[in-house]
Amino acid sequence: MSNPVTATDPAAEVVQLPTRSPRAPRLPWARYLAAKLGAAVVSFAVTLVIGFVLFNMMPSDPVRTMTRGRPVSPAQLIQLRSQLGLDKPVWQRFLGFVNDTLHGRLGYSWEYQRSVASLVMGRIGPTLLLMGTSFVISVLLGLWLGQRSGWRAGSRFDRITSSIALTLWSVPTFWLGMILLLVCSVGIGPIHGFLPTGGMSDPSLPQSGMRHYVDVAQHLVLPALTMILVVYAQYVTIMRSSIIEETGSPYLLTARAKGLRDDHVRRRHALPNALLPSVTMIFMHLGTLISGAVTVEAVYSWPGLGDLTYEALKIPDLPLLQGTFIVFSASVIIMNLLADLAYRLLDPRVRAQ
Amino acid sequence: MVLRERHRPRTALAATAACALSLAAPAALVSPAAAATPHNAPGKTLRVAMDSSGVDTLNPFTSYFNGSLDIFGSIYPTLTVINKDGRPSPYLATSWSISSDHLTWTFKIRKGLKWSDGRPLTAADAAWTLNLIMTNETAATANGSLVSNFTSVTAPDPTTLVIRTKHPQSNLTYVSTPIYSIPIVPEHIWKAHVAGLKDYRNDSFPVVGYGPWKLTGYKTDQYATLDANKSFILGAPAYDHMVDQLYKNSDSAVAALRSGQLDYINGVNATEYTALKRDSGVSTAESVGNGWTGLELNPGARTRSGKPLGTGNPALTDPRVRRAISLGVDKQTLLKKVIDGYGTVGEGYLTPAWSQWVWKPSPGQEQRYDPAKANQLLDKAGYKRGANGIRISPKTGKALALRLGIHSDDSTDAAIAPYVAGWLKALGIKVVIDPMSMSALNSDLGKGDWDMLMDAWTNGPDPTYILGIQSCTTLPDDQGSGGNTDSFFCDPAYEKLFAKQQTEFDPAQRTKTVDQMQQILYNADVDLMLYNSTTKIALSSDLAGMNTGKPDAQGAYPAQSSFWSWLDATPKAGGGSSSGDVGLWLGIAFAVIVVGAGVAVVRRRAGVDDRE
Repeated sequence: MSNPVTATDPAAEVVQLPTRSPRAPRLPWARYLAAKLGAAVVSFAVTLVIGFVLFNMMPSDPVRTMTRGRPVSPAQLIQLRSQLGLDKPVWQRFLGFVNDTLHGRLGYSWEYQRSVASLVMGRIGPTLLLMGTSFVISVLLGLWLGQRSGWRAGSRFDRITSSIALTLWSVPTFWLGMILLLVCSVGIGPIHGFLPTGGMSDPSLPQSGMRHYVDVAQHLVLPALTMILVVYAQYVTIMRSSIIEETGSPYLLTARAKGLRDDHVRRRHALPNALLPSVTMIFMHLGTLISGAVTVEAVYSWPGLGDLTYEALKIPDLPLLQGTFIVFSASVIIMNLLADLAYRLLDPRVRAQ
Repeated sequence: MVLRERHRPRTALAATAACALSLAAPAALVSPAAAATPHNAPGKTLRVAMDSSGVDTLNPFTSYFNGSLDIFGSIYPTLTVINKDGRPSPYLATSWSISSDHLTWTFKIRKGLKWSDGRPLTAADAAWTLNLIMTNETAATANGSLVSNFTSVTAPDPTTLVIRTKHPQSNLTYVSTPIYSIPIVPEHIWKAHVAGLKDYRNDSFPVVGYGPWKLTGYKTDQYATLDANKSFILGAPAYDHMVDQLYKNSDSAVAALRSGQLDYINGVNATEYTALKRDSGVSTAESVGNGWTGLELNPGARTRSGKPLGTGNPALTDPRVRRAISLGVDKQTLLKKVIDGYGTVGEGYLTPAWSQWVWKPSPGQEQRYDPAKANQLLDKAGYKRGANGIRISPKTGKALALRLGIHSDDSTDAAIAPYVAGWLKALGIKVVIDPMSMSALNSDLGKGDWDMLMDAWTNGPDPTYILGIQSCTTLPDDQGSGGNTDSFFCDPAYEKLFAKQQTEFDPAQRTKTVDQMQQILYNADVDLMLYNSTTKIALSSDLAGMNTGKPDAQGAYPAQSSFWSWLDATPKAGGGSSSGDVGLWLGIAFAVIVVGAGVAVVRRRAGVDDRE
């Protein structure tokens, strides 16, 4: 507690202050942050190059696909190829692509004839709503069930929870979506359909105000439920195994020996230590949140970014694909960065590095 | 302490709700901004499924997708309309005449029509629209080829439109029709947007136009809302409003129809159709199809100057090999097994939807499934069977193996390919099935890098364009670019007839010429027509009048266009369901049960703790 130097020599205390003040650990913290930020920027630059190469290597004739069945003359096809910049050399297209990305326009969609950024902005809301809701509920449900199962591994609760979770995890998302759609929207036998079949809102209702939000919530139930049922199992499994690993630890024995209730030991002692693998999972999951869920969005015609990407693939609308690829990659890179920072806060071992 | 313990699950629930609500905020970002006038005005609403292609842009000068074309057909007028018999008839133009040299067309335009903003709709609007497409590259994006033969378009007075052409053009009455060709737009609205036409999105609602409907709102890849034009000149829609809603897969659209959330789907697949036939709340109907499914054979890809192109198997340049393949494919089985018999075996190149162009081979000329004859032809061509049963090319000494390109996302192609491969294997031809994306397939096609491809087309009421993609002029240039060919077909006799049909003004004579062209295509064995499937329609039993025309002997209605179907739809007396309210109450009940169960679990768990 006491320091003989500071206690006896006030001058020395002044000199030593910078190294002993709360600012002291900030230097490595800043270095850590700078290193991670630098790595993120490099990753992003590499992503740009990979994205461009990937989509420009795809064998494609978007003009023919877009105009198929329409009365278009060969001269018009040439004109259209030139309008889309397909006649330019690859290096020019790459420079244009980098320039567009750095200016935040993300290119110009061939199919929708609008900037990719405006399309992405229009879809990010629905994606975050669907993915965010299902993410939050999956994490809470998965972690809660997982830690309770793991704590009493082998019990009836554990057996039931684990089998349901594993079954749902193995079910194809598309199939599960269709079954829920049949039961809850169309109705089977005595059950009448009670939820909307698709879309995000009912066009015949006002598009603002409380009634609209209730309507959006109704439309959200089935796609979100499908996502939750498919995803929560991952958290159950990881949390369960982490807790099982902790159960034999001596510190839990100590806690119990102190007379603490079993429930308290689980929540306050075992849980924080068992949480780290789940945190990794959460950040990995968060990174993919923006990219949406193509299958679920397709089943329920949910107008999100996954669905936009699928639409772009059909042509293929290369600028739109490149644009969404960059947005998805950037979200993964940012989430990885945040995960690194969070680890430093959560895990003393990382701080010590 | 105990209290805190008990509160914890509630805190978790509250946190969940808070997170969900905070995440719900982005919904506000998308809902009001991107359009959609509230569509809750009183009156009956018709809900139709949007064409699965969706809407690319609401700018009719630059749009290609069928979802958009259906909307333009409803909200913009055209010079003529394709009537229920598939022929051009009066719309904006009440009559038309042609000069004796066949170069000047005069259209008489209706008096007294008004755009939806009250401004007069005259011949000047039509002249301005057509002139813009003739002179502006961007405006020509979607329909430029339709006016490429025009020298001038003028409106000497509000009720007269004069079109002069470079060469006689027999299909001029097809140049401006709903859905299939050029929509007329209001000059007073669009002239301000000519400079930035490429980026103009046409999304100020309601969109000024004239048609059976008025566009009141649109949300990208979700839906369009429309109001009826009760004073529409060809008859007022019976419904007051319409919602044109996009479903990303047909199963969802069918589910919406069965649950009463949708009234009409034009085009469900065979499996769904068979199931829907048994559904009590749903009516079904077939209409004569406007498309074909076929197998293309590469006859030796060449450029316009005759330079060979690509990697096509030279065996297919031999007409005997192509004929053998044609005789070796059992179209009747494909029709029965792949589309459950909903259609007819393919013969003529033009589809059954437009009866004036339907052609059939004369008796005795039909190419029917005949493997024995096919084998004979291959023997005659010198392709002897090797030890493994696969034939050997007499020129190269290599086994006769052909690539079959199919659309990787198309279940029909996937169903057809193994049949074709099996039948050809029996003939001694090895087939390598190569699934590709539509785009990759098109790319290979353009470069001549293919042997056989699965193909499908639809055609509108005027056959010029689809006949044109078999013309020599659509072959690529020596650099391999500038082509728009469908299968590298090029035949001098066909070429002459193609030019001839463009200048024949007697419909019967033109039909005769087109028949001869179809005969040439049939005998060339380059585009093997497998079948013409019917369009399968499913609609709510509460609807009447959507299927226009009278069914043929097989029970199939004439081809249905969204223009007439949406216009003629009538609600049956006492129709309409209130499933929305029921859904809301059931939804609330569902929520109460879930929350109740949650509370019960929490209370029980707390009790367990106390017992411990």
